[in-house]
This record gives sequence, C-alpha cells and structure tokens, in this order.
Amino acid sequence: MRLILLPIGLLLLAGCGSVDDRSAAAASVASSFLQAVADRDGSAACGVLAPATAEKIGEDCAEGVLSEPLPAPSPVTDSQVYGQRALVRLGNETIFLGMFPGGWRVVAAGCTPQGDRPYDCVVEG
Amino acid sequence: MRRFFRENSLGLVFGSLFLIVLVGQAFAGHADYNQQQVAAGMEPISLSRYLTSASFGVDVAENWQSEYLQFFLYIFLTVWLVQKGSPESKQLGDEGRESDRDQKVGAFATDSSPRWARYPGLRGSLFANSLGLVMGTLFLLSWLTQSIAGTAAFNEEQLRDLQEPVTWAQYLTEPDFWNRTLQNWQSELLAVASMVILSIYLRQRGSPESKPVGSSDDATGVEG
Repeated sequence: MRLILLPIGLLLLAGCGSVDDRSAAAASVASSFLQAVADRDGSAACGVLAPATAEKIGEDCAEGVLSEPLPAPSPVTDSQVYGQRALVRLGNETIFLGMFPGGWRVVAAGCTPQGDRPYDCVVEG
Repeated sequence: MRRFFRENSLGLVFGSLFLIVLVGQAFAGHADYNQQQVAAGMEPISLSRYLTSASFGVDVAENWQSEYLQFFLYIFLTVWLVQKGSPESKQLGDEGRESDRDQKVGAFATDSSPRWARYPGLRGSLFANSLGLVMGTLFLLSWLTQSIAGTAAFNEEQLRDLQEPVTWAQYLTEPDFWNRTLQNWQSELLAVASMVILSIYLRQRGSPESKPVGSSDDATGVEG
C-alpha cells in the first residue's frame, strides 16, 4: 500500500519543490528587461529575450527593442511558473517568459489581455 | 527462488510489464514534449526534468484513476448485480452481501481465516470491504493527482499560447479536465462490459476468467 502511494505522493510534489525560487527568478528577469529598456540599454534588454523573440524584432535587436512602445518598469505584483513557462505581472504590464539553458528569457512583453483570446503583445516570438 | 516465481508469476509478470511500459511511456512522452518545445522555439528538456513535470504526471495519473475506478466499480457492483451466463458474475440468487456463514466471518471464521475476519464491528466491517475501499481510495487519490498535475500542465500550455492561467477550481470546469477524464472512463467501462458479455458466449481454455470450454452459455458464476 505504501509502495503504491509513494509515486502518487511524488507526483503531487513534482514541480512544487522550487516553484518560489523559479517564480522569483522569472520576476527578476522580467523586471530587468523593462529596466534595461527604461535605461535605453538595448543590448541588456535583448540579452534577456528568447532567441525567437529577439529575431522577430529585427536584425539589430538592441536598436529595435528600444523603438517598441514598452511600458516603464513597475513593482512585480504576480509571478506564476508552470513547467517551462512563466507569467509575470508588473502593475498593468504582463510579461511571458520561457525557461532556457541560461535561465528565464522574455518570450513576449507589452501584453494586454483580449478576453478569451491570447494576449496582444508588443514584442513576441 | 524458482518456486517463488512459479507461485507468484501472475503478479510478478504484470508488475514487471507495468514498469517496462511505464519506462516506455516516459521515453515516448519525453520525446513528444521536446518536439512541442522545439516547435514553440524553446529548448528541449532533460529526461529527469520531464519525469518531474506536470505533463508526465497528468498523463500517468489520468490512466491510473480510470483503472482504479474500473476495479472499484466492478468489485462493488458485482456484489449486487449479476449477469446470466457470465463467469464474471456470481450465481443468480446470490445477490447481496451474503451470510456470515458463506463469507466465513465472525463466529464462522475458520482457523485459516485472516485475523480481522473474526473481529466484529468497525474492524471487521473495514476488512470485509477492504478491497473495494482501497481501490476507491486509490481512484480518488489518482484523480486528485490528475487534477493538480493537469492544472499545471494546462497552464503551461496556456502560457505557451499567451493566455491566462487558471486556478485548480477553474480547471475542474475546463473541457481539458473532463476530456482527459471521460475518455479514460469510457474505455474502461467498454472493457468491463465486453468482458462480462463476451465471456457468456466465448471461452478461453484454462483461464479462470472464462468458464470451462464445455460449459453451457447459461452457466453463471462458473470459472474454468
């Protein structure tokens, strides 16, 4: 009986172990992205973008990202992690992130909700 | 050792097959997950990371819950329901919990009866229903696991699609939860109904799941 319940317990615990650490890390990357844009540091901003997102901005990501209408940084109000994906809210701003070998990267930013449809984002991969 | 294997071959073979197939599912699920990761512009994840993911958890649990539900229902419903001609059913007229004498409980327990079969009251009652209760409990735990892991796996997909995540309570009303649940339930119920009905007319020589080959189609509760 205990042997049968063990895997169920493990499944229940799976993914719960370091959720707080992971959501804090995602929030930190989201904040640093908006801060870099506010500081007009395009290289730093592109450094935390997911490859596909940086590619979509254009050949010169560092310049292109600064021309996007991204909001000023605000305090983090919510950070949720599910598997390899995260969502961070900073005031009215919502940022979507993905986990890469080097850590969290911004997949989409400047996002506004569209009801039941996907968020409409200023930059996305 | 050889004797031990011979006397327990059914449990050992099914236990081993379960582990082999679970490993196979882990590898196939890992490859499938990574295919979706790459298609979405993400990096593949390691097998160990996948094994602790909600995606793997929900895929395992949704199948477990339906299997335990199947056995729970079968164990409990065959106490009161019968099927004429099926070896899966008890004899017609034996519906119900049967007498203490027939069930060898309380004063009718024999020397070889388990100790708890002798106890009156709650302990005796618990033991008398322990098979169904454990199956039912495992069903509920597996279903709960499916709902928790399913919430996280569903939300991972929601975030991939730039959509709002849901709470556990909201997930219980999502089509994804009920689609995963009901597609497993229907297949289990079909399997049980097939077994009950086909075993009236078909035979498998030597199997206790079948009636003896020469038994009439009307013979009920007879095992080969």
